[in-house]
Order: sequence, then C-alpha cells, then structure tokens
Amino acid sequence: MSETSCYILDNGGYTAKVGFSTTNEPKIVPNCIMKAKSERRRPFIASQIDECRDASGLFYILPFQKGFLINWDTQKTVWDFIFSKECCPVNFSEAPLIITEPLFNFSSIQEAMTEIFFEEYECQSLLRINATDLAEYHYRKLNSNESTVVVDSGYSFTYIVPYIKGKKYKDGIRRIDVGGKVLTNHLKEIISYRQLNVMDETYVINQVKEDSCFVSQDFMADMEIAKTRGSENTIVKDYVLPDYTTIRRGYLRDVVKPDEDLEQQTLRLNNERFSIPELLFRPSDVGIPQMGIPEAIMEAIGACPEENKESLLENIVLYGGCTLFPGFRDRVYNEVRAFALDHYDVNVTLADNPLTYPWEGGKFLFKDPEFYSFCMTKEEYEEEGKALAFERFDI
Amino acid sequence: MASRESGRVKESEKRRVLDDAARKRRARKAIEALEQDNFHEDPHADLVMSKKVPKFADSNEKPTRKKKTRSAEYYKMRFRKTFAQLVEEDASSRSEPPNYLSAQVPPSKFPDRHFCAVCGFPSNYTCIPCGARYCSVKCLGTHLDTRCLKWTA
Ligand SMILES: [Zn+2]
Ligand SMILES: [Zn+2]
Repeated sequence: MSETSCYILDNGGYTAKVGFSTTNEPKIVPNCIMKAKSERRRPFIASQIDECRDASGLFYILPFQKGFLINWDTQKTVWDFIFSKECCPVNFSEAPLIITEPLFNFSSIQEAMTEIFFEEYECQSLLRINATDLAEYHYRKLNSNESTVVVDSGYSFTYIVPYIKGKKYKDGIRRIDVGGKVLTNHLKEIISYRQLNVMDETYVINQVKEDSCFVSQDFMADMEIAKTRGSENTIVKDYVLPDYTTIRRGYLRDVVKPDEDLEQQTLRLNNERFSIPELLFRPSDVGIPQMGIPEAIMEAIGACPEENKESLLENIVLYGGCTLFPGFRDRVYNEVRAFALDHYDVNVTLADNPLTYPWEGGKFLFKDPEFYSFCMTKEEYEEEGKALAFERFDI
Repeated sequence: MASRESGRVKESEKRRVLDDAARKRRARKAIEALEQDNFHEDPHADLVMSKKVPKFADSNEKPTRKKKTRSAEYYKMRFRKTFAQLVEEDASSRSEPPNYLSAQVPPSKFPDRHFCAVCGFPSNYTCIPCGARYCSVKCLGTHLDTRCLKWTA
C-alpha cells in the first residue's frame, strides 16, 4: 500500500503543527483550551482563540505538564477540534499519521498514544516519533552529513540530541529545564514586581517577550548600556499594551516622551529585553542549577564516541520557538566556537522555519522508500497489541 | 508586662534572619513558580461548564460505518496519572540510564552571577536578613519595604 499523502501532527506542548504532506506549510494552533474573562459563554479551543475579542486575563488549560501529555481530556478535546472541519479534517483510514512525542516519553503515555490512535481515531497506519528525529531527517536530507546535533528549544524545555548516522545517540541526550514557559513566567514576575501587576496576563506577556527580547552577544556590555540615560541607552524601549479596542497586539516603540499624549498603557523594558533570553544560556541566573545551551552542546558531544565529534560540531541545527530571538544563533555559534578545540570546524544552522522544521522533516520522511516499514498498521495492532509499538517506535 | 513582651518581640523582629532552610524553601518556590500555567483562578469556575465534549463537524463525509466515539472524560479517567507518578514509574521500569532523569544537564562549570533583586542589574551586596542581592542603597530600601522578610516562605 502507499497513499499519496500523509497527515503530519507535530504535537508540541504549546502549539500543534498540523497538515497534510501535500501542503506547503502546516497550520500552527495552540495546543490548549483557553477561557477569557470577557466571554463567559464558552471556552476557546486551540485556534478558536482568534475569535476572542479581548484576550486579557486568559486562563490556560494545557494537555502538557513539564513537557509530557498528562491531561488527556484536554488533549482529546483539542485533537477532536484539530481533526474536524473547523481546523484540518482528516480520514485516518485513508492517510497514514505521523505524530510526535517527547524524548524519553513515559511508557504509560506511549501505550495510551497507541491505544487512542488505533482504537478511537481508527488509524490505518501510525508512526509515533520524536520531533527531533524528524528535524534530523530534514537536516540530513539537505546536507547528506554523517552526524548531527539537534537543538530543540521549545516551550517546556530545551533538548540537545546527538545523532550518529541517522540514529539518536541516547547516552548523549541532554535536557535543560528552561524553555519559553520559564522565560514568559520570569518576565511576568519581574514586570509585576517592578512596574505593573501582570501575573494574570500570560498571553499578553508572552507576546511582549516575542516582540521585545533579544539574545545579547556581550551580556555585561549590554548591562552597562542599559544603565546609561538618554540617547546613549540604545536598549530601553516602551511596549504599548493591547487595549482590545484600537490595538489587538501590542508593539515595541521608542520611549514615550514626557509631553506625549498616549492613551494606551505602556511597559518600560530595559535590561529585561536581554536578561530574559539569557536564562537559556545561564539558567543559574534564576537559580536553576543547570548548564546553558552552548555548554550543554559540548557536554552532549563529549558523551559521544571520539570519532564522531568532528562531524557533530560541524552539523549543529537549531529549531523551536526560543530560537526565534534575534541573536540566538550567533550566541550559540560564538560560545561553541570558543569551547571547541581550535582544529575543529564549528557550524551552527538556524532552521529556515524554526517552528515547522520537524513538520517539514515529516514531509521528507513520508517520501522515504522505507516509510511504511517505520509505521505500524491497525492489523498489526489488532494481532500483536501494544507491545509491538514499543519495538517499532524508538521514542 | 504586656508592653515589655511586645517590645521584646519587636527587638527580635529587627534581628530576625532567615535561616538556611527558609532561604532554600524560598528559592525552591521561586523556581516552582516558573513552571506554573496560571496565577489566577479559573474565571469560569463559578459557572457549571457543560461536561459534554464540544461537537465538531465530522471530518468524514460519508462514514463507512458507525463508530463509537468516547468522551474526553473517558480518557481522563482511563489514563489518569500525575507527572510525579509517571516519573516514579519510569525510574523503576527504565532504571538504567539513559532515561528522563539521567538526561538532565549537570550544573554549569561557570560561577553563579548575581543580580539585584529589585532592578536586575549586576549586584555586589547581599541582604543580611534574607540573602537577596541588591546593588545600591536605593534598591536595598525598596527591597526592605516590599519583600525581604515580608514574604513568608
Ligand atoms: Zn538595584
Ligand atoms: Zn532582604
């Protein structure tokens, strides 16, 4: 059997990336249910949030906790939405499904995944796989390289995964417990202490983070700039908050002048702009006793066989929401370059589309002549049960 | 007698210093807060939300056969396990590394940096009662007025 298209769902802890392999790009939908203060009639499921007029004080109900699928009722509701006409309709008896799961996913969650997709959604062919596997496949298709270091800096945490000849080298996998969620929560905390209580405004402050923050190339020098007053301080900006009447999404602008009449509320952002993403590079700045990304890349490569280290350093690829901060790639490159021995080359690539890189990898994988040998069929599930899934899928 | 008692309390209050355990508890709470999804209550908690699964238009134009669909509630009950339970289960079933716990990166080889608890700039001073960092007399004043021992950890 071979179908003409495959349904790919990169099921992230914050957003799901979903679409058929025949489409150019996936839909990116929030993987959660949200409740608004302003609308008491109904909750908003996934991309229904676009219909919400006033997104202040949004309350989140997430299927994922600490990067793992825990709240199945929420996830089922979001999946039912995603698979419906409202989002990205699919008939699983006609299209194989590629769905992603976190690294080292717990075995009872793995069993539940197998059960729900074969029994509830009646999949004909199923491939459960790590998003980093799809990203590595994507990179290797384009570069024909031997080894790869995949860095996934997402919502729940950052994973560094070495691959040797297309296979993940599990002893080298490293996780940093810092991702987009920690950054947004920390920004919320310091803004609430320093200027305005925004503890209930995760949705808005996440946008503030996305619109304002950057990765510093010289942290202490930027701190000195941020201390200066007047035109010398090239870092300080104001963020105009959305009021949901004239402004739906806030924006960053030059500091509001004292005589300027501005109706909207603003936040003053100075060292916050770069000390937030800095946590990816120095988690200890907020008391998380872990290495930052470049140091962890060296640690991961250090755990790999000697003969693969050269190729690994030459093929470091970055994706995930946190890699979107301006300066992210350069900082990773500069630090890894400084850590690595001089006679090694270092190459660090930021994915063209950091949010959809694994999803696009799924498109490539579907075209692999061996694709169906990676999948499990409904017949196999009915004959051999869940145990076979543990053999077939290397999660 | 009563006034002398309260006077003594005030004296000890002035000299109060957070012990090590309390400082660690505070630090742990701060890290836990970074993991939280919401800091406010469910705005619809007072409403009786319909437990029914929202109905989405079926994607399957002509269903080949009638399939029983199970509710979200069913799966909530069926796969009910907390994160802590799952970690524990994993530690016994996949006890040999590599696993979830062993993949966590170790501490950095670089020394910790310190920042003012008030303004976020690099700091050189430590608040004696609570161990927080501050950068200037002005920030220390703000810290004493707003946080310091006012937090109960
Ligand atoms: Zn200060
Ligand atoms: Zn103090």
